[in-house]
Amino acid sequence: MKLNIEGLLVYFPYDYIYPEQYSYMLELKRTLDAKGHGVLEMPSGTGKTISLLSLIVAYQKAYPLEVTKLVYCSRTVPEIEKVVEELRKLMDYYAKQTGVKNDFLALALSSRKNLCIHPEVSSLRFGKEVDGKCHSLTASYIRAQHQSNPSQPVCQFFEEFDAVGRQVPIPPGIYNLDDLKDFGRRKGWCPYFLARYAILHANIVVYSYHYLLDPKIADLVSKELAKKSVVVFDEAHNIDNVCIDSMSVNITRRTLDRCQTNVETLQNTISRIKETDAAKLREEYRRLVEGLKEANVARETDIYLSNPVLPDEILQEAVPGSIRTAEHFVGFIKRFLEYLKARLRIHHVVQESAPQFLKDIYEKVCIDRKPLRFCAERLRSLLRTLEIADIADFSAITLISHFATLVSTYSKGFTIIIEPFEDRTPTIANPVLHFSCMDPSIAIKPVFGRFQSVIITSGTLSPLDIYPRILDFHPVTMASFTMTLARTCLCPLIVGRGNDQVAMTSKFETREDFAVIRNYGNLLLEMSAIVPDGIVAFFTSYIYMENIVASWYEQGILENIQRNKLIFIETQDAAETSMALEKYQEACENGRGAILLSVARGKVSEGIDFVHHFGRAVIMFGVPYVYTQSRILKARLEYLRDQFQIRENDFLTFDAMRHAAQCVGRAIRGKTDYGLMIFADKRYARADKRGKLPRWIQEHLTDGSLNLTIDETVQLAKHFLRQMAQPFRREDQLGLSLLTLEQLQSEDMLQKIAQIAQQA
Amino acid sequence: MDDQGCPRCKTTKYRNPSLKLMVNVCGHTLCESCVEMLFVRGSGNCVQCNTPLRKSNFRVQLFEDPAIDKEVEIRKKVLKIYNKREFDFSSLKEYNDYLEQVEDIVFNLTNNIDVERTKQIMEQYQRDNKDIIQKNKAKLTREQEELEELLLQEQQVSEQRRLETLQEEQRQLQAKRKNKQALLDELEISKLPAAVLLAQHKDRAVQLETQIEKQKQNVKPANIFSTGIMMGQTVSFASVSRVEEVLYVYQPLCIDTYGPPVPELDQLGRLGYLNHVRTASPQDQAGGYSSGLACHRAIQDAFSGLFPS
Repeated sequence: MKLNIEGLLVYFPYDYIYPEQYSYMLELKRTLDAKGHGVLEMPSGTGKTISLLSLIVAYQKAYPLEVTKLVYCSRTVPEIEKVVEELRKLMDYYAKQTGVKNDFLALALSSRKNLCIHPEVSSLRFGKEVDGKCHSLTASYIRAQHQSNPSQPVCQFFEEFDAVGRQVPIPPGIYNLDDLKDFGRRKGWCPYFLARYAILHANIVVYSYHYLLDPKIADLVSKELAKKSVVVFDEAHNIDNVCIDSMSVNITRRTLDRCQTNVETLQNTISRIKETDAAKLREEYRRLVEGLKEANVARETDIYLSNPVLPDEILQEAVPGSIRTAEHFVGFIKRFLEYLKARLRIHHVVQESAPQFLKDIYEKVCIDRKPLRFCAERLRSLLRTLEIADIADFSAITLISHFATLVSTYSKGFTIIIEPFEDRTPTIANPVLHFSCMDPSIAIKPVFGRFQSVIITSGTLSPLDIYPRILDFHPVTMASFTMTLARTCLCPLIVGRGNDQVAMTSKFETREDFAVIRNYGNLLLEMSAIVPDGIVAFFTSYIYMENIVASWYEQGILENIQRNKLIFIETQDAAETSMALEKYQEACENGRGAILLSVARGKVSEGIDFVHHFGRAVIMFGVPYVYTQSRILKARLEYLRDQFQIRENDFLTFDAMRHAAQCVGRAIRGKTDYGLMIFADKRYARADKRGKLPRWIQEHLTDGSLNLTIDETVQLAKHFLRQMAQPFRREDQLGLSLLTLEQLQSEDMLQKIAQIAQQA
Repeated sequence: MDDQGCPRCKTTKYRNPSLKLMVNVCGHTLCESCVEMLFVRGSGNCVQCNTPLRKSNFRVQLFEDPAIDKEVEIRKKVLKIYNKREFDFSSLKEYNDYLEQVEDIVFNLTNNIDVERTKQIMEQYQRDNKDIIQKNKAKLTREQEELEELLLQEQQVSEQRRLETLQEEQRQLQAKRKNKQALLDELEISKLPAAVLLAQHKDRAVQLETQIEKQKQNVKPANIFSTGIMMGQTVSFASVSRVEEVLYVYQPLCIDTYGPPVPELDQLGRLGYLNHVRTASPQDQAGGYSSGLACHRAIQDAFSGLFPS
């Protein structure tokens, strides 16, 4: 279908279109026109990805000078693959319609583990091992040694790529990870380095968040991306946590021990090199005296994305004299390490700010702020000079050096918390130093600053205005789209009481209450009797789930439930969980019916979709607040209040509701799908909670579905399920929630579409 | 860390958790009881390296590696003498060279390389730079100062926050109490039905909440003078180190226009150029404008580049 979006010709690879997709494209086009950032919320299962792709590709074709590149960031490898498949469909459609051969280059990028074709390296199991092994075969000095000594092993794929791969551009087309590997095998080139090189001139790049947000990786992969790119963060409801994680450092006793061995290795290597090849160290020394000028020039000419770990002052100055020679630097690291060890030897919790830490370190071991700031850069230079092959071994010392640089660079936005033991095991000493970032805007700032348009989109971004505040940027468009439906296929219900009128809630004071647990059990029991196929139930935490299931067992509720459906439980073990999931799907498939008990914020709630009969009902037991006693969280809340004027309670509720919405959204993955959404906690009925649910859920939440008892819930659910079980064909949707081109162009439809988007 | 122990009596931290290890200038450890026993007289030799030691110099070992304790000790001593600051040097390069030199000295002393010579160098330095050392003793480095400032700021902010929340809570409590009292009074005297009154009360309560919210956002701390100097900060009046460089000398601008000479601004009227431009109105002149200005610029434009170069 060819669409006209405010004068832009957009090819849409399907014969029908949802009205909200059209509306979404309108907003997106306006964002691109304004060269600004946007926040867009559209329910899952309404074709966000294809709308995004077809509009931006059309924009790229129409204005090749305005938008040169699309960078699409997603969360997991399967999601990346899905995006590439949609893109392939779109490009095929283009080729068929215009008759011109496709001249676009689009590719997916993932880690070495997913892209390596070297027979030995690719058989390794862990990502870190693959990276380390790859580095030991492809580092420049290894290859130089290979020149003189052919028995030194190198990766022939990389050699081949390095020899010819850079001159010959990769032919235009759509490459997913397997395509890249095939291409690499055919040519004998390393697919990973090929992809990394090719993203510079590719039109569309699809990869994971971390390649752009994690400063350590972004510096390697994404720093040369053009300014005129459009960056899309899909499924971005958790983006603030990703940002925070990428800047936070956790140091345990084990890290320090490993770091100790690293330091010893460094020392030995230095003394060895000093005897054999002192010129090398002298050369490095000379370079350091001159300072990091090259990097500075590159940043000033705007070729590179700036790196939050590499502050500007560093680039303009030379490395301080006290850490210029290799021995002095190792001595410096040793002192720092011993200081950290001494700090970890405590018996009570310490929380302090970065300036306090710096002052203390100066008093204890005479380390100034300035050399600390250069630590990460200096270590990198040293490792390069010493030609240490296996970088993976040095992760501990690299982590420490990052910590040193961060703690001395940012006086605000970070906090240091040293805990002698975990909260759950107060008798076992397991000291951890959390250097935790409280300001997600620090990590994402270079991205907003550099790229012309950044689009943040997801199925659950409500309330919209909180994201610009915590990420500290000014969007030009903020919009939430609803789902147009031919039949109301989602049925949100808020259950507040049991049949005995006892309030149902996971509030801390009453969560151990016998009546509450029994009522929760009764709810699940009743639902298991009337809902066909699969039910997914979410609890607020693993511990809570364990407690409840244990007492259900004692009360005999589990036994009764098992007469209706099989029960599967998500655990913290990933393998066990995926096994449970597989069996759950099998039970749904063959008609036995099953219940999956899982946890909000767990693996199931984030990445697994329960289409059609895999999830006919989702029950959310309680409000999934984070563990509020955690000191890291407390510090972050305080920071939010002081810096962004967001109250603790607002943020906690926002966070709980986005996870609740994420959980219940698992069941509805499209317009032909249907499902019950049961919120089992009386607190959901309050306006401040209800108002924070996404608009597409709120719309269907009438007064009649608030604060129900279990009996009433069963009545409503029965009615809903009976209605939904009627046959439903595409013709029923046409004209209402599914449009042909003619229908789309009609006057009153356009008017209706204008109402779909709600500007925040 | 449990396998740390005294080299003499072989007690370890594991067996005796209250074991206290001590270090002296040579960097070798002894436990407290051994120190008491061996150094009854106040001095003696190190068990491991035979360095003569004094009992009073024994310190509790802070770090796992006693060498670090030794190094820090030496470093503190060296830094007392080598206390030049960045602004004592004319260029950053010199300062960095100086820092490296200091580092070399510390390195040599801790690893027992050329101890005698290094000590000589230090003494020499101390003699040469007596004044500066004395002067810098009290001064902090620039970074140290910055840190102090940040800490102070932090303290003030937290103090302020505490006060604010306290006040806020009290104010809220009062307002709520007042509101409640008002409701009770109204219920007592008013003739309206109770339901209406209750609804009104609810509205008022909501308004109150929003008001409180707004107030919260408006409060701004005022601990900085308009000049940007922190309140309560002491300003140092120490002389600024002299920077030697060539002073700037003004050289009049000389432009080659490649054209006939342009008449001066005050000659324009005499030469009759002003007859051809609009005379300035009184309003224009009030702002300092005169018709000569525009005319002069137009002539400059017209004349420049007339001669081929």
